[in-house]
Amino acid sequence: MSLAPAAQAGRMSTGPSRRRLLQLGAGATALFTVAGGAAWLWRPGVRGGRLTPSGRAVFRAVARAVLEGSLPAEPAALDAALERHLQRLDETIAGFPTATQAEIAQLLGVLSVSATRQWLTGLRSDWADASVNELEAALRRMRTTDHELRQQAYHALRDLTNAAYFAQSEHWLLLGYPGPSAV
Amino acid sequence: MAIIDPFKDGLGRGWKVFGGRHAGAQPLPERISCDVAIVGSGAGAGITAELLTQAGLDVLLIEEGPLKTSSDFHQLEREAYPQLYQESAGRKTADKAINILQGRCVGGSTTVNWTSSFRTPDDTLAYWQQHFGLKDCTLEALAPWFAQAERRLGIGPWLAPPNENNELLKRGADRLGIRAATIQRNVKGCWNLGSCGLGCPTNAKQSMLVTTIPAALERGARLLVETRAQAFEHDGSKVRWLDCVPVATDGSAASDRTVRVSAKHYVVAGGAINSPGLLLRSKAPDPHNRLGHRSFLHPVVASAAVFDQRVEGWAGAPQTIYSDHFLGVDPIDGPIGYKLEAPPIHPTVFATTMAGFGLEQTRQLKQFPHTHALLALLRDGFHPQSPGGRVRLRDDRTPLLDYPLTAFVMDGARRALLSMAELQFAAGAREVIPTHELARSYRSWDEAKREIAALPMKPQLTRVFSAHAMGGCGFAGEAKLGVVQPNGQHWQLENLSVHDGSLFPTSVGANPQLSIYGIVNRLASGLTHRLTGRTVSLA
Repeated sequence: MSLAPAAQAGRMSTGPSRRRLLQLGAGATALFTVAGGAAWLWRPGVRGGRLTPSGRAVFRAVARAVLEGSLPAEPAALDAALERHLQRLDETIAGFPTATQAEIAQLLGVLSVSATRQWLTGLRSDWADASVNELEAALRRMRTTDHELRQQAYHALRDLTNAAYFAQSEHWLLLGYPGPSAV
Repeated sequence: MAIIDPFKDGLGRGWKVFGGRHAGAQPLPERISCDVAIVGSGAGAGITAELLTQAGLDVLLIEEGPLKTSSDFHQLEREAYPQLYQESAGRKTADKAINILQGRCVGGSTTVNWTSSFRTPDDTLAYWQQHFGLKDCTLEALAPWFAQAERRLGIGPWLAPPNENNELLKRGADRLGIRAATIQRNVKGCWNLGSCGLGCPTNAKQSMLVTTIPAALERGARLLVETRAQAFEHDGSKVRWLDCVPVATDGSAASDRTVRVSAKHYVVAGGAINSPGLLLRSKAPDPHNRLGHRSFLHPVVASAAVFDQRVEGWAGAPQTIYSDHFLGVDPIDGPIGYKLEAPPIHPTVFATTMAGFGLEQTRQLKQFPHTHALLALLRDGFHPQSPGGRVRLRDDRTPLLDYPLTAFVMDGARRALLSMAELQFAAGAREVIPTHELARSYRSWDEAKREIAALPMKPQLTRVFSAHAMGGCGFAGEAKLGVVQPNGQHWQLENLSVHDGSLFPTSVGANPQLSIYGIVNRLASGLTHRLTGRTVSLA
């Protein structure tokens, strides 16, 4: 996602970020205006290196679609797995440089506001209410669109989800990976 | 067999390591003077440090990443990527279309590479002679410098049988009548674990972490870790000092304290994105607008295949067989050629490299033990329509690479996907899955040939990677053609040299580590002679 590579996480100000946004395509600029100016800037998806509640909601929903067939089916086990996944995502995001964390924060911010979420993903329901089918349809559209920002957003959501989930040794069983050789 | 960690012992005996949180680290001084300050601790920095300290020079190495040693390497992706790689192994080009793997730790990429060792190909050197005035870059002139590096770093033939992942490359190539050969590796007493990319836990890999850096520290060199070279202060013809700042593992500033380094000479060896980045931050003279331009990547596309038998691509020496057949189909300055290799695959890199999500992804992941992978390294930089990318600075002054994937390059990507699918079916694959968002799992070569021919070869849709950043501070025989002179010295700043893969005026056309070792060996020996009058030798 190259929404606004400029701002630094944790001390984002509207000044430089607004200027960067205006360098995006006209469609994006119009959309951010529709979404209420810079309102989304006040709810970034990452703060202090950790996912905010709205950022967690996005990634929790994305995980249900991206990891379908890999997640436990039983509701309590699913909840626990998603909770551990979000913790691991926090650690993953904390490992990125400041500029990348800021981009993830802004992407999640845009995805947390209804109007910009619909524009970027086509998803009508809130993240928490969306069915797996609706989420899959949204991800499929983003994946194959010609729109660069939507493609970038798809790759960021999908790759971060997979990186965090399959780095955990408890999920290697699914892959038939025995883990490292003894030294 | 006990594994000896040279750093545990060395730090106990007084090796001078400053910065970071590593055991034995000492507080960072505010000012440091030395004979030569070297930025980085990877392939070029390590060779340079070993040679300079042999001549008795007082050397300071400045590394942005942490000091992690064999005792810290547990063969785990979740530890290795954030600790040992640039940007947590997620460094990307500006449009996010290419993911770049580069080391960021003591030893740089040599700590995490897959040990593949090739001398610079003759046709690459001929191109440099002809187009960049590098008259001394001949195979004959470089041969002794390569031979020394090979002796010093245990580079030789891999005598054990290839793992199944590599054997399949050989089997498919043999059936198609294409030549495949064995890759030389820089290992001594290798355990055949397959974890080279996650840090060698047995110190078998003869990286800079276990060879030249310990040798330099033993001779009194100082090493600053978790410290970023921020900018040179210069007057347009000479560097006065170098300002450095402590950084956290994620690269953010760890404090406001600046360390000012004064040296007689400065060597930039931070890798082909960070080195041009440092010179851009320093506003180094660039009268011919060459700095940061012509940055190359060997853009990589990959093809997965599923076999009836177990492949276990994570086990055993990672890259031992290659084919250069497709580098020789067209002239070097014709349609882009590509080198084929069989990369190691671990869970995280596999799950993020394959395209798709959901139930289809789960189906592919369950076949992991039976999955074979091939990659094609596209030889960029030899054609007017392959000018590479350009390093620039983000607003926070960190470097960012713009690398447009041109139609010329993507034509090579399509041919490479076709070649890999054909080879995999020839080797007996039951399905082949190109890493492309619109590709499906193909069941026959006929089906794959028809479908791959029709795939839109666009950035983002085609998944592209790189582990070979090169260029950006190219060397050349004339000032208007490059950033540095053929001897490695900056054309405008007399007491500054560049000694890393950023020197290369095109891509190499082979895994670059031995090209860096051999060429920097010659440059660093020359620098040592200019500074001391003494002749030194790697081996």
